[in-house]
Amino acid sequence: MATARPGWSRRAQYGLFFSFLAVIAGIVIGLILLIISLVAPKTFDGIRGAALDVTGPVASALHEVNATASGLITGAGDYWDAASQNAALRRQNHAMLQRMVEAKAVFQENRQLKAALDLRQQRRDTVAVGRVVGSSFNSPRRFAILSVGSSNGVKIGMPVRSPDGLVGRVIDTGALASRVMLVSDRSNIVPARLLRNGIPVISQGRGDGTIDVRPLEVGRNPFKRGDILITSGTGGLYPPLVPIARIVKLDDDGAVAIPLADPSTTSFAIVEPPFEPAAIAAGAPASTDSP
Amino acid sequence: MVRAALSSKRLNQAPPRFAVLLPAASVVVASLLAALPIVSTSGWYPDFGFLALIAWRLLRADPWPGWWAAPLGFINDLSTGYPIGFSVALWSGTMLALDLIDRRTMWRDYWIEWMLAALLITIDQGLQWRVAEAMDAAPAFTKMVPGLVISICVFPLVAWIVSRIDAWRLGR
Repeated sequence: MATARPGWSRRAQYGLFFSFLAVIAGIVIGLILLIISLVAPKTFDGIRGAALDVTGPVASALHEVNATASGLITGAGDYWDAASQNAALRRQNHAMLQRMVEAKAVFQENRQLKAALDLRQQRRDTVAVGRVVGSSFNSPRRFAILSVGSSNGVKIGMPVRSPDGLVGRVIDTGALASRVMLVSDRSNIVPARLLRNGIPVISQGRGDGTIDVRPLEVGRNPFKRGDILITSGTGGLYPPLVPIARIVKLDDDGAVAIPLADPSTTSFAIVEPPFEPAAIAAGAPASTDSP
Repeated sequence: MVRAALSSKRLNQAPPRFAVLLPAASVVVASLLAALPIVSTSGWYPDFGFLALIAWRLLRADPWPGWWAAPLGFINDLSTGYPIGFSVALWSGTMLALDLIDRRTMWRDYWIEWMLAALLITIDQGLQWRVAEAMDAAPAFTKMVPGLVISICVFPLVAWIVSRIDAWRLGR
């Protein structure tokens, strides 16, 4: 901007005055845009997607470099304590084998029971598989950037999971990348239940990588440390029986949980179609409010 | 002495053609740092674009015409995923506020500039939190404090980098 004291020149004075007006116009335009994006968030979907197409591939490329470098380091580290790791893995393997036999038996029994009940096995399709390549690391919101976009069939509102558990849902899509609202975002509310006893609960992010869990029915605190949360499928957006989080701390009327799918270590994220497509048509936020 | 100055090779060397655009370009680059493959679940990293903006503005009164703050903020909104319009309004407001402060302050030193920057960063983070609250997505405000402290501590580093870029662009 011009200097504070333009002197006697009328031209310089006007120049200063108009530059002030231009800045004030900038503020007003910014406020109008902000109000639009608060009131009608869908207005800017197109331009946000276009911006993702610029930044997303850059993040993907840098992520590859980063993954290669850290892979080399951890690879070297693995050699370093190979002997002790080997012993631990053998022990683990032995325990796993026993569990697997049990699981096979349960699986068979399950199949027989399902056949008896004439239940149709629901097949889950995969829309796209991508990597988590970035995040909103400088904002109070918890978003992640995924390396797949609408050219892979990703649409706004689709649930995203990893082999470990639920990651979140898609909120912006570009052609090459998409933005995912993580389960730890404050406005991401997931209808869930406890794996141990099936008590229905509500999971809501806390904005710092953890999750707040509240029981649907007011009364005794049903949580224990180590409890696993799974999605209930209520609302139709998230598929049922996807693990979400493990409870680490109890508080007065609920508990704090840590997501099982840590976006910083998740190697692959799977985009799935919404459990009931009508849920997206009805508007994603409304469907999550009513568990 | 005069002869020595004339024989210097620095004579007739103007700053490079892009010197006028360099401050704004460096703010854009700082905004695009949001594309770094950092996956954080805490959100404590600083808002690099805003830090670069106030570092340039505190270093020079006219790094760019004031209204440029609006498009620069727009780029920042797009690259960081903030609600569109947030940085547009905040950055324009910052330019206006610093112009008004420039008229009032009698003297400046590093400490006052850092305090001023800390104040602006606090306003930035506080408004981000307010906007998140308006979207029913605000975490407890105490969760914002570590990020705020980190940003304030990182500011001198950004200011140093900006001053190096400034010296380089002016050929000093």
